[in-house]
Amino acid sequence: MSGHREFVLRTVEERGVKFIRLWFVDVLGLLKSVSIPVSELESALEEGVGLDGSSLEGASRLREHDVIAHPDPRTFQVLPWRPDSIVSRMFCDVRQPDGEPFGGDSRLVLRRVLEQAAALGYTMQVGCELEFFLFEALGSNGAEPATLDDGAYFDLTPQDVGSDFRRRTIEYLEQMGIPVKASHHEVAPSQHEIQLAHTDALSMADAVTTFRIAVKEAAHELGAYATFMPKPLEAHPGSGMHLHISLFEGDRNAFHAPDPEQPLSPAGRAFLAGVLAHVCELTAVTNQWINSYRRLATGFEAPGTVSWTRRGAAALVRVPSRRPGRASGTRFELRSPDPSCNPYLALALILAAGLRGIERGYELQAESLDDAAEGPRLPLDLREATDLFDGSELARETLGDRLCDVFVANKRRELEDERRTVTEFDRSRYLRLL
Amino acid sequence: MSDAWIYGEHGGELTSRLLAELGFSPHRVAANGALRPPEGDNRAPALAVVLASGLERPSCAELCARLAADDDLGEVPVLVALACGGLADGLGVAEGHELLVEPFSAEELQARIARARRTVNGIDHDDVVRVGSLEMNLATYQVAIDGRPVDFTYMEYELLKFLVTHPRRVFSREALLHRVWGYDYYGGARTVDVHVRRVRAKLGSEHASRIKTVRSVGYRWEGT
Repeated sequence: MSGHREFVLRTVEERGVKFIRLWFVDVLGLLKSVSIPVSELESALEEGVGLDGSSLEGASRLREHDVIAHPDPRTFQVLPWRPDSIVSRMFCDVRQPDGEPFGGDSRLVLRRVLEQAAALGYTMQVGCELEFFLFEALGSNGAEPATLDDGAYFDLTPQDVGSDFRRRTIEYLEQMGIPVKASHHEVAPSQHEIQLAHTDALSMADAVTTFRIAVKEAAHELGAYATFMPKPLEAHPGSGMHLHISLFEGDRNAFHAPDPEQPLSPAGRAFLAGVLAHVCELTAVTNQWINSYRRLATGFEAPGTVSWTRRGAAALVRVPSRRPGRASGTRFELRSPDPSCNPYLALALILAAGLRGIERGYELQAESLDDAAEGPRLPLDLREATDLFDGSELARETLGDRLCDVFVANKRRELEDERRTVTEFDRSRYLRLL
Repeated sequence: MSDAWIYGEHGGELTSRLLAELGFSPHRVAANGALRPPEGDNRAPALAVVLASGLERPSCAELCARLAADDDLGEVPVLVALACGGLADGLGVAEGHELLVEPFSAEELQARIARARRTVNGIDHDDVVRVGSLEMNLATYQVAIDGRPVDFTYMEYELLKFLVTHPRRVFSREALLHRVWGYDYYGGARTVDVHVRRVRAKLGSEHASRIKTVRSVGYRWEGT
């Protein structure tokens, strides 16, 4: 660890870094930051930085309590935007003042599940496809935002800000050590997709968090606004975050089946069975906003039922066909999550569900052979999802009671706020009729 | 702080002191035929000094041969130091990458170390490795391409440093994991691939292809 620390101190000095941002996320995955001047860096690395732990609890704070944010020097990185003042960041682990882990820290939750997987000899690899919209700078009201192009799936749109924007974003991401596999225009106008190359689960959760701010910064520089809101336009598809998941045992892909008739190895089938068995309980986390369910409600390839397939684009899980000689590429793609989720908690729960499938020998349900899949349906709205999550023993075991309670309190409050809101829908449907 | 390992007894105290003055962290290796010092994380040092005079079992030649054959220590620059008049009996004269004869000053030691590191690792006297427009400063952890800084994380930097200072040799993923990340790292050899991809992305088109993927073996740095 001392090598890391010396590297950070030396780089800050050599590069003339002025401020260091200490990053952490709240229970909903929203990025929080404390900025410290260089003079405080050494003591921050040594002893951490004190915070009010209720800042990790979203809108439903319990009460103020002291916690310590310990910057992880392995995540030290100079931020590529705003090059005139050099700023860097480190992700933090949040602990109690006595050094014990703080139950409200999403990053520690994911670490804990990764350690459980490691004890069984597994590491989790995750690739990620993130969709989002790029709009003209937003007005102050809640009106529908203006799109920037009429592009469509894989369109090359020469005269829009979109191409400049994607290029700049990708440069930022690569400068921050987040390799991009591909990027393209998505189905809806103003919608983009960027695919991140696979990496270990903790790095991917950090990468998604970094990605969201890098995209917003790049958009801002071009006078536009980027949003990861799951369903901003009623008439067009929403934005998903497809996760490509595999487990490795050392160098070997534990999902790979030598028999070409089998989509996945026995461990892979049991893992996928675990994810499918628990996915409804976890949906409150993978799709955590009221708006998330408007994406799932309307088709456009967003999944609605619990099913898996090797063909077709609308099932909850797709197992991509294998290319010969590419055993390491065996994986499944989970298509329900959206890019506004807390990636730490989402990956922790998916991994925990899969490991439970392996440990208890779950049987994988039959493949669904058509898109209109028969199968249990995913929760229809946030209320149903929150109730299922609240009663989930797997969620309590994985996230701990404190985090579960805070999460549920946040979601109940959001639902209550919505219940009191008179919307466009109310007026257009009832004003004249009644 | 770079480690320097010292083999042999004759003049050991003085050599340790001079190496410390030059900014190395010296470790004495026990005179029982061991190749590694008892303490430390066993990662390969920046430098080995063999005090040849009085070395019998193993002899200087045997020791140097074993260092060269060791999986982890094979590319460590080796300096052989002889006692005053030691040239006459010819023992150890042909071994290692550089030769020193007592009495020597800190300046001479520094110059010999610089020559050995240049020969073995391509590191210039100012602790900088230069490959085309790429400059890697090992003293300050800074990497620049065409004079513009490129920001790496610590592990990306360590991986690049290892590859750059061990040019033309193929390393398996396991070997890289072992030598760059250390013994206690649990993350699987996929970690290496992921980091190579990140380093390539940051190096940009001119230098990314210097990290060659050797199919089903590992990776190799092509410096030229």
